[in-house]
Amino acid sequence: MIHRPLFLILAVIFLGGCGAHQSVLNPKGPVAAELALLSWLLFAFGTVVLLIVMLASALAMFGPPSIRAILAQHGLVVWGGIAVPIVSLSVLLAYGIWLTRASQTRTGGDAALHIEVAGEQWWWRVGYHKPNGQAIASANEIRIPVGRPVSLDLKTADVIHSFWVPNLAGKVDMVPGRTTHLHLQADQAGIYRGQCAEYCGGPHALMAFGIVAMPATAFDTWLQGQTKSAAPPATDQATRGKSLFLAAGCGACHTVRGTPAGGTIGPDLTHIGSRRFVGIDANATTKENIAAFIRDGQRIKPGNRMPPFRIFPPEDLVAVSAYLAGLR
Amino acid sequence: MQAEGGSKGFLKRSAAVVASIAVAAFLFAWSGIYNVAASSGHWIIFDWFLRFGMSNSVSLRAQAITAPPLGDPNLVSLGAAHFQIACAFCHGSPVGPVNPVTDKMLPAPPNLATEMRPWTDEELFWIVQNGIKYTGMPGWVALERHDEIWAVVAFLKKLRGLDREAYRSLAFGHTHPPPQPGEPAAADASGGTNVALCARCHGDERGGPQSALVPSLHGQSHVFLSAALRDYASGKRHSGIMQPVAAELEEPDVNRLAAYYAKLRPVERHSASDDVLIAYGRMLATAGDSDSDVPACVSCHDRSALPSYPRLEGQSAVYMANQLRLFKNGHNAMSAGGAIMAPIAQRLDARDIDAVAAYFASISSTTSRTGAP
Repeated sequence: MIHRPLFLILAVIFLGGCGAHQSVLNPKGPVAAELALLSWLLFAFGTVVLLIVMLASALAMFGPPSIRAILAQHGLVVWGGIAVPIVSLSVLLAYGIWLTRASQTRTGGDAALHIEVAGEQWWWRVGYHKPNGQAIASANEIRIPVGRPVSLDLKTADVIHSFWVPNLAGKVDMVPGRTTHLHLQADQAGIYRGQCAEYCGGPHALMAFGIVAMPATAFDTWLQGQTKSAAPPATDQATRGKSLFLAAGCGACHTVRGTPAGGTIGPDLTHIGSRRFVGIDANATTKENIAAFIRDGQRIKPGNRMPPFRIFPPEDLVAVSAYLAGLR
Repeated sequence: MQAEGGSKGFLKRSAAVVASIAVAAFLFAWSGIYNVAASSGHWIIFDWFLRFGMSNSVSLRAQAITAPPLGDPNLVSLGAAHFQIACAFCHGSPVGPVNPVTDKMLPAPPNLATEMRPWTDEELFWIVQNGIKYTGMPGWVALERHDEIWAVVAFLKKLRGLDREAYRSLAFGHTHPPPQPGEPAAADASGGTNVALCARCHGDERGGPQSALVPSLHGQSHVFLSAALRDYASGKRHSGIMQPVAAELEEPDVNRLAAYYAKLRPVERHSASDDVLIAYGRMLATAGDSDSDVPACVSCHDRSALPSYPRLEGQSAVYMANQLRLFKNGHNAMSAGGAIMAPIAQRLDARDIDAVAAYFASISSTTSRTGAP
């Protein structure tokens, strides 16, 4: 009899993996549904094999002599121990390979939305390409329309990263010098968490992102908004924040379209105020969290490539944060 | 069996002897018989023995050190200026004797101008860096600033044989404070000016620094200069030369000094460099290198940038390259500005550093420049 509190603790730990959030077992699109089916088939097959083996073992040890004699036959070992596993595992392997290849090679047709995602130490560079050729850059957040196939081109700027949104699709590595592909589709509106699934150094564990699936019309409106340059600051404080942002050299690494800031080293900030989080996905995009990241980014996301900017007096830091939070 | 018993007996006897010596030593110290007076000096045999042990200890530890070339006049004049403020009080100089107070220390500090032992460069480095126990000789304030310590060594090699005028021109630049070491020349807190103290290395309205290893402060912003002095005083910036000087300053001094240099016209400190290197430096400085995550230097070091950042046009290339190497090696990463610069410097290689330093040294601080984003 297992100790009751210990059982509960173990149950919480292991069953936690069955939660709906960021889970393979809770598919929200056709690609993920196929993978979930594969997962269940593997679990079921494994369970059946386990039960048969346990039963055979028990009978071999404690069963009547007649059954033990049957179990000891040479033929049973050859057929049950070698032939059945080879055949069944080969079938499952072929099915698995066919399924994952299909999810990576199917194009989704002309209707598919193309998005480019590049893994960088330690954030996600997201690029949309409008039919007119205009490119829109974002970071750490991918917005997609519900019910429409999405075709992702996956790249990396430095080391190997791995793109994984369990509720929507399988895991695909981003390999230096190559472009890999992933196709997915969300059947329900919602926010699906993803994270880097290949250790990529330092704050790898904090390299999260979200896929926001929204109704098609809302998506089109949103994308249209993203094509615009940054709105001019609305308040005096934000206006001062903008000139401080430029004078402090932020534009060396960050782009704010419509201003002289055109750096491409770090995330594009043209519409940072409309993104859900800043730096790490535990920090919602608020003035306070933006200020905290500018000043103490190395404490929030240790090892990230942005130096801490402690040069701002408090009122200047507030002004810069107000400016950025207003870039909606 | 017998042999074992014999060795056991020997061990016991040895332990007894050691214990008796320890007890005797304790009783000797407890009784107060030993005279700790500095005035009485050491017994001549002790004196010889202590010096013998000291010089062997220094020689052994200096084995692991290799001296760089030390003939550079920039090293010598920087070392001289520091020697005058930090060393001459105890060790004398061609313009003044060992201070009579420190002359009564035991051991009395040697007058290095006349009685320096024939140490090797490496031994001198080790002594300046680490100091010597029980002598009053302190270690270097910023142990890792080897570049500064070598400047002092370079000067010490030149010290013997320097006449008053030659010493004065090295140690004081074109300032002419009273020549007494340790006197108000070091820190005139009487409301006169601390500028004379700074000017010996950094120059004044008559001209820029004597040594290319020393930055020109002329025309830097008040915000930047006062922050630098505070960072040195608190040890956020490491320097065995600047920390002791800055730590003496009070806030009004800091502001006065910053204001003085901020209003001086920038000086041009061009040095010869090859055009290919400068062209590469210009590219890196104005466009950065996004593949290596190196932002363009001018985004922060342009005249339109925040006054918290230093202006680099016409600054000494030798100084800038040295500072970048220090940043790269993690020095000065504690200050607010250093925390920004250090991670960027780590993305530069040796050629990048020489190139951007050569580029900024090559441009004039008075003409306008294009290329800022």
